Amino acid sequence: MASIHLQNIEKRYGGFVGVQNMSLEIADEEFLVLLGPSGCGKTTTMRMIAGLELPTGGKIVIGGEEMTEIDARDRDVAMVFQGYALYPNMSIYENIRFPLRMRGVPASEHDARIRQAADMVELGGFLDRKPGALSGGQRQRAALARAVVRQPQVFLMDEPLSNLDAKLRQSMRVQIKHMQRQLKVTTVYVTHDQIEAMTLADRIVIMNKGAIQQVGTPDQIYSDPANTFVAGFIGSPPMNLIEGTAQNGTFVAPGVTAPCPEYVRGKVTLGVRPEDCHVGGDNVQGMVYGVEPTGDTTYLTVLAGTKKIEVKAAREYRSDIDVPVAIHFDPAHLYFFGEDGQRIRGAA
Amino acid sequence: MAKARKSRGESMLVRYLVLGGWAAVCLLPILWFLSIGFRPRTEVITPQPIYWPTFSLDAWHLLMSDWPIAQYLRNSVIAVAGSVVIDLVLAIPAAYALARYEFKGREDIGFYILSTRMMAPAIVAVPIFFLFKTLGLLDSVWALMLIYAAINLSLVTWIIRSYMLDIPKELEDAARTDGAGDLTILREIIVPACLPGIITAAVIAAIFAINEFLFTLLIASTSNAYTMSVALANFTGGSDGIIYNAIALVSFIAFVPILILVILIQKHLSRGLTMGAVKG
Ligand SMILES: Nc1ncnc2c1ncn2[C@@H]1O[C@H](COP(=O)(O)OP(=O)(O)OP(=O)(O)O)[C@@H](O)[C@H]1O
Ligand SMILES: [Mg+2]
Repeated sequence: MASIHLQNIEKRYGGFVGVQNMSLEIADEEFLVLLGPSGCGKTTTMRMIAGLELPTGGKIVIGGEEMTEIDARDRDVAMVFQGYALYPNMSIYENIRFPLRMRGVPASEHDARIRQAADMVELGGFLDRKPGALSGGQRQRAALARAVVRQPQVFLMDEPLSNLDAKLRQSMRVQIKHMQRQLKVTTVYVTHDQIEAMTLADRIVIMNKGAIQQVGTPDQIYSDPANTFVAGFIGSPPMNLIEGTAQNGTFVAPGVTAPCPEYVRGKVTLGVRPEDCHVGGDNVQGMVYGVEPTGDTTYLTVLAGTKKIEVKAAREYRSDIDVPVAIHFDPAHLYFFGEDGQRIRGAA
Repeated sequence: MAKARKSRGESMLVRYLVLGGWAAVCLLPILWFLSIGFRPRTEVITPQPIYWPTFSLDAWHLLMSDWPIAQYLRNSVIAVAGSVVIDLVLAIPAAYALARYEFKGREDIGFYILSTRMMAPAIVAVPIFFLFKTLGLLDSVWALMLIYAAINLSLVTWIIRSYMLDIPKELEDAARTDGAGDLTILREIIVPACLPGIITAAVIAAIFAINEFLFTLLIASTSNAYTMSVALANFTGGSDGIIYNAIALVSFIAFVPILILVILIQKHLSRGLTMGAVKG
């Protein structure tokens, strides 16, 4: 029950910038997902919000109170650590109980709450074990239970499902979202998994090299990418990015021509999602490079010049390699990016 | 397959032979002591070796009647145990600060603490004597307790610190976000996680303290403060000349507590430290 404001926060390690000039407003009760490649500063951001790392610049406000230099124990934040951080000498039961004891929750409530949290992560049968006697996925769920056993102002979850199998991950995902809606706790969630990000987030923050690339709803991030990084990061397979030149309303690259707005000129990058490419037509003249049937769809890779273009083809599409193929784009879903990688938008 | 197994069996046999031989060489002096301690005085010094000596409790009876061994043992135990407790109480927080807190000169202080251990003890013998004389603590087990604690403090701190450095920092971060303060973290997270290190350090300190000789000789002048180590050195067996079998027996008795400590430490030295704390 708290909003979080990050105002120009920055974290330097000597000369290296881990997080740079980051400003973000996280609304009360919002589910915010941080998404980005390894080393982009997600964990560092979380640790600054938790109070475990002092920012080298900027301000952090939680629930209207300036918290920049307040110690972690005095912020009402619960965190799931990327490395689990279970207390090795305590049983899982005691691990989950620890935050309740520390935060002065009446002892009479402990047992019920611990069991409830353990049941949520399907660990009810393992409460007597020490962390050393659990599998990686079980440890991760224990860490999750320890975080959700109390109702803090903010949840911080650093890849809490990374080590689970697909089925368990899916069911945990639903549980987390349900619980967050029920408890109405502002949540910041880190993941590498796009599906997780798309399904859980109210808003997604895409980060790269310590800087925010784009903030938006999953829809906005997917259908309105701000730059080539976001475009190439989201979607699987991600958007095709084709470098070429544009003039007089036409984009040209080796083997590719496409219509473009008049205001797009010079060296530009065309972005088009695989699902907006279709076999046939006249935008691409290339050769079949590979065909990958996945069951519900077939991915076709077309070589145009030296560029490989991914196409989401019909399920029954089959072809030999090295035969000529033509592709057309859905003209309503073409994106153009300038030389700096930023989206070129019409006069606005 | 059969051949591989056989050669493996052979190599195990060779291993046991070599190790067994080495163990026999190491244990021989101890067995020798035992054998001398439990034979009559007349069979100790003879021109011919006696392979099958007569069993005798003469030396044992002599010790029990003539020599305040219980008093010496008591002094040893009080001084050593007390010093270890003092060491742990001081070293655990110090080690934690040296392992975790960021402050200027941290590494230097760490090294300085260890370096006190490198000094030759004889250098401080005279000042220490006068110090304790002024304090009125000469010939007292309490003085020995303090001295043993001082001698071992640096080593104990250093050992515990090295164990603490191995504890993942995320554990403390988790405890802090869960709402724990420094002392709670130390008591509930750090100490249990480095318990094997603490036990190891305590046993090593105890062994050093039991064997301490120079300062004990300096401080202790009567059986008020004589510990096993000094009493042993002063022991000749009594008024009728040097009684070797009694000396051997006393030596063996002095050796037993150390043996027990070493057996204790072995179990803990090989234990994993932070099993299951982190990923992987
Ligand atoms: N204590 C530190 N000293 C120096 N550099 C650090 C330190 N901690 C993190 N970094 C650097 O800061 C950058 C961001 O690290 P961070 O852990 O936030 O990445 P991440 O986005 O969480 O990555 P991953 O997805 O792999 O967990 C990395 O390049 C990392 O090497
Ligand atoms: Mg991380």
